[in-house]
This record gives sequence, structure tokens and C-alpha cells, in this order.
Amino acid sequence: MNVLTRMYRGETHFDFIAISRKTMVVSLIFVMLSILVMIVKPFNLSIDFTGGVIITVENESGATVESIREELRAVGYGDARVQITGNNIVQVQTEALDANEQDLLTVAVLDATGADPNELNEKAVGPTFGAEVTRKAIQALVVFLIVVALFITWRFEWRMALSALVALFHDLIIAAGIYALIGFVVTPSTIIAVLTILGYSLYDTVVVFDKVNENIDEDDTKTTYNTIVNQSLNQVLMRSINTSLTSLLPVGSLLLVGFLSLGAETLKEFALALFIGIAVGTYSSIFIAAPLLARWKTRQAEWARRELRAAKAAGQLDAQATSRSKKSTSTTKKAPKSAAGAKSAVAKPDKDAGSGTVETPPSDVPPAVARPPKQRRKRR
Amino acid sequence: MTPKKAWITLILFLAIAWGSLAAMLAVGWEPKLGLDLQGGFAVTLVAPDGTDENTLNTAADIMRRRIENLGGVQEPEVAVISGAGGEAAIIVQLPGVDDRERALQAVGTTGELSFRAVLGEGVGSPYLVDSSGDHPEGIDPATGLTAEDDVTKRSYLSDQDDGLIYEVDGIVVVMPDGNTVEFPTGRDITDAQAVFQSHGIGGQWVVVPEFTKEGGEKFRQATGYLANFPPGSPQRQLAIVVDGVVFSAPAVANDVLPSEGLDPDAVIITVGTDDTAEDESKALAAILRYGALPTTFERESVYSVSATLGADSLRAGLIAGLVGLLLVAGYMLLYYRSLGIISIVGLTVFGSLLLGSLILLGETQGTTLTLAGVTGIIVSVGITSDSYIVYFERMKEEFRHGRSLPSAIRHGFKGAYRTILTGDTVTFLGAILLFMLAIGQVKGFALTLGLATVIDVIVAYFYTRPAASLMGRGPLGDGGVFSMRGAMGGGDIVEVKEPAEVSS
Repeated sequence: MNVLTRMYRGETHFDFIAISRKTMVVSLIFVMLSILVMIVKPFNLSIDFTGGVIITVENESGATVESIREELRAVGYGDARVQITGNNIVQVQTEALDANEQDLLTVAVLDATGADPNELNEKAVGPTFGAEVTRKAIQALVVFLIVVALFITWRFEWRMALSALVALFHDLIIAAGIYALIGFVVTPSTIIAVLTILGYSLYDTVVVFDKVNENIDEDDTKTTYNTIVNQSLNQVLMRSINTSLTSLLPVGSLLLVGFLSLGAETLKEFALALFIGIAVGTYSSIFIAAPLLARWKTRQAEWARRELRAAKAAGQLDAQATSRSKKSTSTTKKAPKSAAGAKSAVAKPDKDAGSGTVETPPSDVPPAVARPPKQRRKRR
Repeated sequence: MTPKKAWITLILFLAIAWGSLAAMLAVGWEPKLGLDLQGGFAVTLVAPDGTDENTLNTAADIMRRRIENLGGVQEPEVAVISGAGGEAAIIVQLPGVDDRERALQAVGTTGELSFRAVLGEGVGSPYLVDSSGDHPEGIDPATGLTAEDDVTKRSYLSDQDDGLIYEVDGIVVVMPDGNTVEFPTGRDITDAQAVFQSHGIGGQWVVVPEFTKEGGEKFRQATGYLANFPPGSPQRQLAIVVDGVVFSAPAVANDVLPSEGLDPDAVIITVGTDDTAEDESKALAAILRYGALPTTFERESVYSVSATLGADSLRAGLIAGLVGLLLVAGYMLLYYRSLGIISIVGLTVFGSLLLGSLILLGETQGTTLTLAGVTGIIVSVGITSDSYIVYFERMKEEFRHGRSLPSAIRHGFKGAYRTILTGDTVTFLGAILLFMLAIGQVKGFALTLGLATVIDVIVAYFYTRPAASLMGRGPLGDGGVFSMRGAMGGGDIVEVKEPAEVSS
């Protein structure tokens, strides 16, 4: 069976914990690169944050940028940013103006372009109100994080809450970094997107942790935390992939329509941040949050004991495996390292036996001993 | 869940979900569109620091009434924002409004009315310099106008039409004999009507104010005082001042006796005869009727969207949503086979409930659907799809672990529902916080997102559970490649038994 078929059937046995050693390094590099990008190339903030005036009208009279600028210079706004887009839409942007100045500018733009006053699109934001939007958004963000951390602590435990938050910051920083790199304008829609990313990232992580806790409850083989996390991740893998896909499909169409359609500037900026965020969020719940939690939990006395025992068992197992099968010799060298992976198979046959409907392996050898060679063969 | 119970739950729930939406649409209810989707105009008016909430509410109330008077605005929304830091503002949203100028005037004009005695007319530069050679405090040397009209002091005010500058006295005037006369202000007026007065072939628009008893007395005394001045003298004029601008300055008629003054019931303010006079007189009447705003507001931000752009945005949002839905439906069908049908029908149930809730909120609370809300809906497609995926994957897992199909369907739901509930709670918490703390666009997004999570939990329980349970019994459950069994990779039983081979 190839990997895809096994994924479809939920029969994968990827050793995520082992893989995460490499992915965490990659993530760290990406996070640092993102921070670097944000420092070198700061965000392109929209007037909602900086204050300013944007007037968008149709260019009825076929004015040129120069002629519009000329008209604006006459009323004292020669330094305004004037743009004419491909579909003959004129956009004029200045810094924050007071009410009278705004009216003056509006009339000048209407005169210069011959646009219908009823077809005027205008956005004027004062500097204080822009700051207010930012302040409120940050306030909401902080409270949200605290409440979610409390919720996860209450529902699961505080280590999970902290792992989830680490993954969350990872997603935020990378999404922000890419956003800064592309140089899209940051608007209130972007803030919404960021908040949605938080939601997705946490939701994803919560689903994984939920599974981990459930597997701990059901586990009666005293297996290691790493094993349980690996098993849980394999179990939720297809869910994660499918959910990302079904979330990315609408967002992707939003992105596409945003690029193609005129009226959907907002959609485009929103969708891009969301698209990156969902993809990174799915990745981080598997490769950051869960492995981080496993590493942390394994330090606790009880789990550390189990880990030690598992490592010993794996040692014996390797000895057995070597003597029993020459085929597996090549893989046994890796065995101590991938003890967790080997153990991940333990729970499965056990659980099957518990449900009682599948034939219990008719063997006197404990499943833990029997399964790993087979599994490794599969992985190759 | 027995088949009978499942059928009853399913049919009842579908009837509620689809029926309620159909009923709302049938009676002509539609989602109220925000101004970014239908075009319109919004303005944020900032009050001076430290303005208390009562003052703001009074102002908002006056603005609301003035806007209603304006007509043609579908859903005016006047919201008071007061932060802890003392900053206070009023956000006025006027979807569908086309006359921007009048709307701005209606909400932004303070509407402070006063009647003032005219001291001089056509005031030139000599009046702008006092005896010491300096400009009187607060007077703009270029225009001769006071920076702001203070009713307690003498002011230089221009006429709004011809720009003629008047020097007017405060509202309390000291007479030569030492007594004082108090002139009436907007607070002395209870009502005002814009009326067209016809004179033979022509006619003119006038505003007829109605004074309180006390105000009427002030008016009588004030005009009596002015009647002391000889006919033709500028000082016989009574300036009607609105927000620091002389609206008009009619002279007191020659036959008025100083001892009697003018009859307050006979007062008319002439506005004009031209086309704009009708609008202008109505606006003035509204301002007089609803009174002045209790404080002055600074226009902080303006947001105006043309109807064309609004329609474009709405169309773009709808297309994106539709394309996204189709893609998701296709994927679900491909991946989960007959289970995909459950999720597709489920998406329509979810959509009906979400749309229904938004319509209901629009009708009862005046909640509008904005572009941010539309994006919230598109995002929620992902949320609800996830619930199906969580359930279906769970079902597959139970099935692989050897459960029979009905058992896997049942047990799968139990485990999955717990996960769905937890996940939705996190999102719901976020949505609530956003709704409470954020302002503007973010609020609309939070609302649809929050609604979506609640609806998702309900749909999973009352629709997905019975639907899956029923499908499991039919040919779509235990059948070929397209059936539920097919979706679980359990087409050939041998593969399911795979663990057995492990022990060999």
C-alpha cells in the first residue's frame, strides 16, 4: 500500500515526534526570518491605522495623473498620492485632514475627474480614531489569549495551554512575516484575518489535544507520552488535512475573486492572511504544539519512568528482532532512537482486542513485540 | 437512536431549518445589508474629551431624529462610543443615503440657534481693530469673523448667503436705562415647521417657529427694544444666528411699537424662493424642532461607498462563497462518498439557519450584514465542514477497530461530538470577546462567526446524527464503493482484518 492509501485508511504510523526535531529547527528559522522581514520591511499600514483620506472615483473625464495633481495643487494638495488603475478608477490619498480640508479635497477630485458625486467613494480617518482601532484590536487579542489559555487549562491542563500558545505565536509571526514580505496593505480586515487564524490554530490544536487525552484515558498498557501523542497525531492526520483543505477551498476562492474582481479589495487582503494562517496553523498543531507538549510531559516523573521502560523494552525487542529476521537488521540500528515510533503500534492491536470484534492476534507473543518489524517494513 | 426517532428528529429539524428561512423570505424579509454592501455613508463625530455619556446619548437622539426627518435613509444607525480614557464619539451610519451633504449637515451641525441684536452691518476693517490697534481676541483678521460664535459676547458673524458681515450683540443686551433685555435662543422654541407661503403667482419657503410662553415673552421684549431704533437703521434688525452664521437679519417692521414688540405667534423666518430653499427650510425646521446638540462635535472620519461599489463587493462575496461551497461539496463527495451527501445537505441546513438568524437579527435588532460578515460566513463553511470531517474520520476509526457499521456510526458520533463541542467553544469564546471588545468591521465578523459555531453544534446533534444513523441502514450505508462502507475503505473485508497478519 502506498502512503496515500494508508493515509486514507488512517493506517499511517508516522513518527511525528522524531520528525518534529527537524521541523522545529525549520520553524525556528522561519520565525526568525519573519521577524527579520518585519524589521527590515515594516507593514504597509492602511489609513485606518495611520489616519488619512482616500477618495476613489471613476475617471469620467479621462483625466491624467498629472492633470489631477494640477487640480489638487491649486487647492494645496499637490503632494497627494494619485493613482489611476487599469479600469480607469482614480484613487487619491492624502494624510489626515480636518473636515473643511476634506471637503475641499473632495470637490477638487470631483472637478478633476468629472465624476458623479453620488458615485463617490471616500474614506477619511482621523489619526486618533485609527489609533483607537489598533488599541481595541490589541486589547481584544490579549483578552482572547488569556481566556483561551484559561479554557484549555480548565478543559485539559496548563501545559497544553502553553504549548497551544507557542504554536499560536509561531503561526502569527510567520503569517505576519509573509504579509510584510508581500507588502499588502494592512487593513482592519487583516486584523480580522489574524483573529481567525488564532481561532483556526487553536481549534486545530484543541482537536489534537482532545485526542491525546482520550487516548491516555483509554490506554491501559502504561505506554509513553510520546507514543500516545504519535498515535493521536496519526489518528487526526486526515482530519487535519481535510479540514485545512475544506477551509482553504472557500478562502482560496475568496483570494481568487479578490484578485479578479474590482469591488473586492478587502476580500483579497483578508483572504491572503487567512490562507497563510490556516496552512501554517495546521502544520503547527501537528509539528509544534503536540511534540512540544510530549517533550514537556515526558519530563514528568510518571511519564519519564514509562519512557525509560519503553526504551528498555525496545532494546530487548531489537535484540529479538535481529535474531528473528535478517530483513529487519538494517532498521534495527535506528531502533533505540525510534523507540517511540515502535511503541506507537502497541496501542492499536490492544485497542482492537478491547473492542472485541476483530480477531485478537492468535499469538503468545505480546503484540508490542510482534508489531514493530512489520511496521518498519511498511514504512520503507 | 431508533430509526423512528431518527426520522422524527431529522424531519422536524429540516422543517424548522428550511421552513423558517422559506417563511421569512416569503414574507419579504431579507438580510439588512450594511453600507459597504449597498452603498451609503458613515461619519464618526468626536466629542470633546470628558463629555459624559448622557450628553452623548442626548446628542445621538437628536441626530437620529434629524436623520429621520431627512427621509430616504433606510436604516440609520447612530451609535455612541465612549471609552474609558475619556474619548467619546458618535458613529452615524446611513446606508443607502445619496445626498451626502445634507446628511453631513443633519448630523454634524450643532444647531445652536440664537436671536441677536445687530450693532452694525457690512462691518469693515475698522471694526476689526480695537482702540489699542490690536485685533479683538478671537477675530480672524482676514475675514473679520470670530472663531466661534459666543452668544454671551459681541461677535462678528457673516451672513451665510451673501457673506455680509454683521456685528451682533450677545443675547443679553444692556439698554441705555441700565435695564437688560434677554433675547430668545433655540431653547425657547418648542416646535418649528417649514411652510410654503404663496403670494399670488410666487411664493417663498419660510420656517415658522413656536415659542414657549417664556420664550414668547423674551421675543416680545427683544423686538420691542429693537423697535426703539429708527426705521432703516441697521440696529433695527434682528439677526437669526445658527451655529455662528447669520441665517437672516430681518428688520423689525416700521409699525411695531416699542412698548408691545412683535407677536411671537406671527414670527416667520424667510428662507428663500429658489429650489434649494425647500430643503434648506426643512433642514432648519428640523434643527429648531429637535434642538441643538448639547456639545460640538468634530468630524473625525468619513466613510462613503457608492452604490456601485457596494453591489460589486456583494457580488464578489457571493461568487467567492458559491465557488468555495461547490469546491468543498465536490471534495467531500469525492473523499467521503455517500457521507459527502450528508455534509452537503448539512451545509444547506447550516446555511439556512445562519441566513435565517441574520435576517431575524436584522429585523429585530437592525443588525446589518457587512462585507466582514460575508467573509465570516465564508470562513464558517470551513468550521462546519470540519465538524463533518471530525465525525467521519472518527467513524472510520471506530469501523477499522472492528465495530459494525451502525456501531461505528453511533460511537463515532459520541467521540466526535465531544471534540466538536470543545473546538466550537474555543471559537465561540473568541467570537464573543471580539464582539464585545472590537469596534467597526470586526464586530460584524465576530457576530457571524459566533452564530456559526452555535449553529454548527446544533446541526451536528439534530441533523448529522440522525441523518448518518439513517443512511447507515440504507443502501448508501452498507453497500458498494460509494456507500459509507466504501468511504471507510472497508470495501473488502480482508483489509480490515489486517492486524491478524501481524502476529505471524
